[in-house]
Amino acid sequence: MKWITARRRHPLAGYVVVILALALFGVGYAALAPTADQARAQTLAADAPSQDDVDVLEGKEVFDQTCATCHNYDGSGTANGPDIRGVGPAAVNFQVSTGRMPSMDPDSQMPRKPMAMSEQDLQNLIAYYNAEIRTDDLGPDIPYDVPDEAPDRSEFEDEAAYEAAVEEYQTEYEAYIEGAEDTDMGMRLYLTNCAHCHGWSGGGGALTDGRWAPEIHAASPRQIYEAMVSGPGAMPMFSDGVIEPEEKQELISYVKTLQSEPDAGGIFALERVGQVAEGFIAWVVGLSLIIACAIWITAKQRAHD
Amino acid sequence: MSKTTQAPKALRGVGNFIDDRFHLAKTGEKNLRKVFPNHWSFMLGEIALYSFIILLLTGVFLTLWFKPSMVEVIYDGSYERLQGVPMSEAYASTLYIDFEVRGGFLVRQIHHWSALIFVASLVVHMLRVFFTGAFRKPREINWLIGVAIFVLAMLEGLFGYSLPDDLPSGMGVRILQGVMLALPLVGPYISMFLFGGEFPGEDIITRLYMLHVLAIPALLLGLIVAHIMILWHQKHTQYPGKGHTDKTVVGTPMFPAFAVKAGGFFFFTFAVTAGLSAFVQVNPIHLFGPFTPTSITSGLQPDWYMGFMEGSLRIFPNWFDLTLFGYAIPTAVLVPGLVVPGLVFGGLAAWPFVEQWITGDKRAHNVVDRPRNAPTRTGVGAAGVTFYGVLWLAGANDILSETFSIDLYLTTYIFRVLAIVGPIVAFLVAKRICLGLQRRDRETLEHGYESGTIQQLPSGEFIEVHKRNSEETAHVLKSKPTITSTALADDADVDDKGVENPEARKGTGKIRRALAHWYTKDNVPFDDVEEHSGHHLHHSAPEGEKEAAH
Amino acid sequence: MTENNTNDNNEAEGPAPERVVGTPKAGEGVVSGTSAAPESGHEGPYKASETHARPEEMQRRGEKIASVWFVLAFLGGIGFLASYFVFGPEAIADPQIAQYSNMLLGGTLTLAMFGIGAGMTVWARQVMPHYEVASPYDELPSDEQEKGSFGAFFMRSADESGFTKRPLMRRTLILAMLPLGLAPIVLLRDTGPLPGGKLKNTVWEPGLRMYVEGTHRAIRADDFEDDPNAMISALPAIDDEDHPHGISLDEQAKSVVLLIKIPEDEWEERMTEEIEGTDGVTRLNWTHNGIIAYSKICTHVGCPAALYERTTHRILCPCHQSTFDAANAAEVVFGPAHRPLPQLPISVDDEGYLIATGDFTQPPGPTFWDYAKD
Repeated sequence: MKWITARRRHPLAGYVVVILALALFGVGYAALAPTADQARAQTLAADAPSQDDVDVLEGKEVFDQTCATCHNYDGSGTANGPDIRGVGPAAVNFQVSTGRMPSMDPDSQMPRKPMAMSEQDLQNLIAYYNAEIRTDDLGPDIPYDVPDEAPDRSEFEDEAAYEAAVEEYQTEYEAYIEGAEDTDMGMRLYLTNCAHCHGWSGGGGALTDGRWAPEIHAASPRQIYEAMVSGPGAMPMFSDGVIEPEEKQELISYVKTLQSEPDAGGIFALERVGQVAEGFIAWVVGLSLIIACAIWITAKQRAHD
Repeated sequence: MSKTTQAPKALRGVGNFIDDRFHLAKTGEKNLRKVFPNHWSFMLGEIALYSFIILLLTGVFLTLWFKPSMVEVIYDGSYERLQGVPMSEAYASTLYIDFEVRGGFLVRQIHHWSALIFVASLVVHMLRVFFTGAFRKPREINWLIGVAIFVLAMLEGLFGYSLPDDLPSGMGVRILQGVMLALPLVGPYISMFLFGGEFPGEDIITRLYMLHVLAIPALLLGLIVAHIMILWHQKHTQYPGKGHTDKTVVGTPMFPAFAVKAGGFFFFTFAVTAGLSAFVQVNPIHLFGPFTPTSITSGLQPDWYMGFMEGSLRIFPNWFDLTLFGYAIPTAVLVPGLVVPGLVFGGLAAWPFVEQWITGDKRAHNVVDRPRNAPTRTGVGAAGVTFYGVLWLAGANDILSETFSIDLYLTTYIFRVLAIVGPIVAFLVAKRICLGLQRRDRETLEHGYESGTIQQLPSGEFIEVHKRNSEETAHVLKSKPTITSTALADDADVDDKGVENPEARKGTGKIRRALAHWYTKDNVPFDDVEEHSGHHLHHSAPEGEKEAAH
Repeated sequence: MTENNTNDNNEAEGPAPERVVGTPKAGEGVVSGTSAAPESGHEGPYKASETHARPEEMQRRGEKIASVWFVLAFLGGIGFLASYFVFGPEAIADPQIAQYSNMLLGGTLTLAMFGIGAGMTVWARQVMPHYEVASPYDELPSDEQEKGSFGAFFMRSADESGFTKRPLMRRTLILAMLPLGLAPIVLLRDTGPLPGGKLKNTVWEPGLRMYVEGTHRAIRADDFEDDPNAMISALPAIDDEDHPHGISLDEQAKSVVLLIKIPEDEWEERMTEEIEGTDGVTRLNWTHNGIIAYSKICTHVGCPAALYERTTHRILCPCHQSTFDAANAAEVVFGPAHRPLPQLPISVDDEGYLIATGDFTQPPGPTFWDYAKD
């Protein structure tokens, strides 16, 4: 544990430094755990999409059509939407990939929805944002080395390519989750900084003024990462200086492992809501069934039955 | 049925062995002939008894492995996800029960579900006794024992919830300690003594364990035995019915019928609890993680029976907090922590005596009231249930806010208003419903029941035929007691010799008269009812809605 | 609650009379055993008029049904015993296997229990006669003669014993009891130390760095550089070998802080007011570069209050919803808390690490009566 914490990082954390830190972590992990070849491969292979794969002009089209109404054509914001020139591509990727943007009702909190555009459109949009909208490289970059959502069948022409992508994704995902090794650190970081809003298993919770902290079951590790560095809505930010990338990996791994664990106590886990649901079931199911038995025992009957 | 006149030899041998030593033949027969009235609502207390037995059985099993120790260990048990995590021995040993003892998970879940059902059944049992007036003389003492059992059961549950030392359980102890600290003058001392130092210290689980497995269960067991012995001695109350009087009880004899029914009911209770424990996960402490005083989760809740305390802590504002000479008096902690449970349990304990004082009724009652026939009592009960219920719901306001997308602060404001307005409305509504039911009873008694048969009169008018009530129904309806109070009798102010009673002019006398008026004024009189003979066809009879003159 | 029963096996034919809730069904006040033995031949334990035997046919059917339930219960019981051995103690460490094991054991146990309960119920309802036995309630008050006799006996005996007549002896006996009554209270004195200053002081001291909670990484002011709206839970940077997290849980419970960074233009008026008893010091003086440290423990009853909304600067406690305004000296803006969260004065050391410059402004944790006194 201490070998991680002993290392200090340059405070001006940029994209390159993040990648370097994770690469170092990956190598260090691989050295410690001989079975982690895949982990290293994935960690090193993960990268931003190359310039050839994206089209800035198409990105501009997407931006002008779906974002500019509220955020203005130069991203400087309008009465309906904030200035996004300094929020960084991580915020853009988070908001769009979780379907929160484009928003139909800018005044209210947006729930998670399916993404409104294709993966390619999003890549183009981010390329355009980085090229034209973003000021001085402000705001967090996208953590491309953290696994995103599983591939969507509709993005692939044929089944074989899809299955290959799923397999690659799963390898990457497992490498990331299993790359974490300090449950205590992940648990502490999650329970002291996240659980008071999102709940012990990521079920979400109530905030003030009708806002709520969303449940984070569907969130991919990359989306959780991006939410931490960009602080969507009322959420505070946890930059890579405050919680370092490998610490974030521990944290994300803790909550994702917890969420995917089968419920040892039975198939009905009551959405893991806890004591309120348990009390409800004790009354409505438990006590009622027992009383139903009492009614059977004492019910009157006629002798000629 | 074959007729056995002589017991088998082995049985006789055992019987004689016992009788030689205890002289029990006569007592034994008398008790086996004991009669229990037959009604499902008379079995609610049995649910509590059986749940308690299940709790004892499963509890003993759990103590075989549980270590009530707060010594910090690094977990190296077989539950993989938490390996290497620092935690208390209490938490680690609970994980051991869950993941290394076969059936341990099941027994722990049975223990927890059974606790939830135990307290729930206490509540419904208590409500049945309250609303039917079964707490009246001669059963006031058993009512008090019942209230004590209820309070102890809550504490027992709270302490048990705290033992595994998981995240929510430790937070429950923290809140308990916070409430304790708020007590003026003695708070810090009580907290230091109970926790053996500061929170969380290293002693609290050991001490709560002693209370949970020894002291409180011993008290509970004693009280439950006393409760049942008193019930046995006084015999059970019964609902109104033919042949059911304050002198005679009608029902099922202990042997053979009631014993078999009650035995079967134990197995039903166990079956439902086991069924829940098999398929519905409860209190998954292995998922919560160990307690640390710095971590918390949203939606943090106690088990349901502490919900009303949690709710009152949530909704009581800090508007009345005082600072006297630089000393803090946080009423926002003290009122919910002391006054609210004082009101709930003190009110429960005092009610039989308050009611007796109001009505001056010193008779022994073995036939219970139908709730509608004591409208004021039923109204008071409904108000109490509403007050408790609002606080209970308020204890889940964050879950309600999230589930139903209501503003969190708004839920607090709503519950603040409801806690005051709700009981008043509930009182009025429940009383009105009672009086409405009384009127319907009176009508049924006067006109018979609506048969559903439509007839056409020679005049062309359609009417519904009313038929004569069954003997049983008529008996039950006619059994409605008149609610009176000695405080309102004409001569209440004047004693036998015509001397004015000085008590009546004093404050308490006035209060008593006012309460007696309030308690008795709304009532539908049945005295002048002429029973339906079944010969004439009423269809639009005048309503018998005169309320009692006072 | 007053519904009498909802499980009648057989409704009367034709239109049923409307029943008054809480009363038995019309016509079934008496359950008559139509095919029961004639009363003359009755040899049961209770009077024939109180015993309504079931028809033989019904008894035979009841016996069969009850037996089926008992056989099912037997199978359930066997299944339970077998289930115990299906999964070994090593296997159940896997939560998925634990779930299967739990459901198998619990399901078979349920079947066994329910089968016995159902069988016994069928036995009581279909094989055994229905009894309606009348029995007197005991007269409760003893008659006057008995009471008088007891009273006279008791007082005469008491007098004879001398307890009433010999006041010296009586009073000294009561005197002798008094100290023993206090003994249990005295004996409990060593259950814990006196509070002293323990509730008022924490390990924070000038120059002490802080760890990001869950790590042993001291945090630097520069770590907040990229982060205009940061929040992080932190503990004193102490590495005591005895404790995995550096300090004991007791100390953690008092000294944990929430570090929050608030943009400069969002501070509110309380931050720039002079603090009572200081020489011109303001709360803003105790921040560094927009970073402020508050005690994380709620002043209501001690839950960690850490639900921070960066847009409103509210710190909400998830237990009882006390809300504090982080931009305004943690004043209570909603809920039951008595006082603001205490602030920890912070600064940076030569190497850029965040440090405390003293202890909390007030005792952290739940409010107690003399928290404001030294």
